[in-house]
Amino acid sequence: MSDKPQKIGQEAAAARPAKRGAKRDQHGWRETLRAYGRSHKASLHDSVGRLWAQPISTLLTWLVMGIALSLPMGMGLLLDSLEKLGGSWQRAAQISVFLELRLPEAESQALSLRIADMAHVADVELISREQALAEFQQQSGLGEALKELPENPLPALIVVTPKEVERAGLEALLSELQGLPGVAQAQLDLAWVERLAAMLSLGQRFVFGIALLLIAGLLLVVGNTIRLAIEGRRQEIEVIKLVGGTDGYVRRPFLYIGVLYGFGAGLIAWVLLAFGLSWLNDAVVRLAGLYQSDFALIGVPVEEGLLLMLGSVMLGYCGAWLAVGRHLRELEAQVQ
Amino acid sequence: MIRFEQVGKRYPNGHTGLVDVSFRVHRGEMVFVTGHSGAGKSTLLKLILALEKADAGKILLAGQDISEITHAQIPFLRRQIGVVFQNHRLLPDRSVFENVALPLQILGLSREQMTKRVHAALDKVGLLRKEKCLPQDISTGEQQRVGIARAVVHKPALLLADEPTGNLDPRLAAEIMGLFEDFHRAGTTVLVASHDLALIARMRHRLLTLQRGRIIGDGESG
Ligand SMILES: Nc1ncnc2c1ncn2[C@@H]1O[C@H](COP(=O)(O)OP(=O)(O)OP(=O)(O)O)[C@@H](O)[C@H]1O
Ligand SMILES: [Mg+2]
Repeated sequence: MSDKPQKIGQEAAAARPAKRGAKRDQHGWRETLRAYGRSHKASLHDSVGRLWAQPISTLLTWLVMGIALSLPMGMGLLLDSLEKLGGSWQRAAQISVFLELRLPEAESQALSLRIADMAHVADVELISREQALAEFQQQSGLGEALKELPENPLPALIVVTPKEVERAGLEALLSELQGLPGVAQAQLDLAWVERLAAMLSLGQRFVFGIALLLIAGLLLVVGNTIRLAIEGRRQEIEVIKLVGGTDGYVRRPFLYIGVLYGFGAGLIAWVLLAFGLSWLNDAVVRLAGLYQSDFALIGVPVEEGLLLMLGSVMLGYCGAWLAVGRHLRELEAQVQ
Repeated sequence: MIRFEQVGKRYPNGHTGLVDVSFRVHRGEMVFVTGHSGAGKSTLLKLILALEKADAGKILLAGQDISEITHAQIPFLRRQIGVVFQNHRLLPDRSVFENVALPLQILGLSREQMTKRVHAALDKVGLLRKEKCLPQDISTGEQQRVGIARAVVHKPALLLADEPTGNLDPRLAAEIMGLFEDFHRAGTTVLVASHDLALIARMRHRLLTLQRGRIIGDGESG
């Protein structure tokens, strides 16, 4: 090591045995990249160290964030589970289309195909007059007696499952079906279907609102925690700036702290949700069993969990970024 | 190396920092800046470090006009300069080694390069044995020497010092000035602000004298 002062650029180049031309440029470029990587590694290491040095406060921050995250996420997953029930709700919203008594079999078939092609129809099922009679015989227990009738009194029936469970759409569909030639009557029981749909949309809105509030709250929590960290390291930041640390360098450890908060909080939320939902599920399955349903909660699918982690990390990062941006500017004014 | 052309600086509260200051410092020179309290010594150094912005004139550093410098360029300017303060500004929660390593950390040097350089810098100020100590566990003179090691560890072309001996007794002060002379002999440009005229007089270097923001003398000390 020579005592001669050098400019930094010259120093980096001189640190290695000189090679010619492009080779040397490449070295400089690689060394710059390596220096950048090392600097990131050091910042991350430093941030992990700082969180580790204050385990209680770190854990508390993780818990606060994790719990806050798990609430909307959990409710969202519950709604997803309920929407899976949507299948049976759609069945509840089925429209029974009674055909004219005298409609020939072939025309009933054609009509059912036509209805199946309609935009808002998910599924159709044609029940011919014979099938209807057979079913009725079975269900009513009047089997032999009905055989005495001179003629089958039952019309053919098309059971239509609509795509959406929403009042305006259903009513439009109903009147459209009503107007088809060969249709005697179309029937729908809307009241409870509508109630369910309304509850679902209310639930979704509620979850969305809560999620927004909690996200704002989390940004504040992270921001405030980072602000305190910045206050505590004011002197260090001043010195770093004096010896040539860039804004990016000053910001980096705090951004890492934000990311680490987000990561830990995401993990905690995931674990809370997994346990919470499986605990609820026991009760739900028992209840569903009483109603002859095999309904069960979905749990936390891996993709959703990963998304949760990603979102949480982003939240931590953004919270930190906002706090650092603001306080760096304040510090800037005071360094001088 | 340093060139001031009719530089003026007035603080927002109306205080005069510098008025129409022009001078040149050549590469490798050692220069003292002296003057009464409030004469503008610190202001002059702050302008070179881009801690303050001149509101008149031009400041050139190694050919670069730093009165026009952008915010993003400032860190890279400062990396070419080493600074020593009166109150050393060491970080209390970091060891002597870590304090000295700070400028190298910013540059992203590898662990072994960093260790080599920090040891060399600590060796020059005679504190190799204290590398693991915290700043509070060493004497004031030693703290100041650590501050100097931190200022030179990245081998800056220019070394600035603002009252580096202010808190020290005369013997320690002379020792510290001796260190600056060592760096000057090794080729570094050194600019020291001090009002310790007795100490300055014992060394033969160029002396800039400021009074109320103006240069009133430029000559040999002693
Ligand atoms: N940040 C500031 N805001 C306003 N005025 C300032 C500021 N810094 C310095 N001044 C004023 O500028 C003038 C020059 O100050 P400067 O600190 O450069 O003097 P100095 O020669 O370093 O003095 P000392 O020997 O006491 O350190 C003084 O009148 C001082 O009050
Ligand atoms: Mg001063």
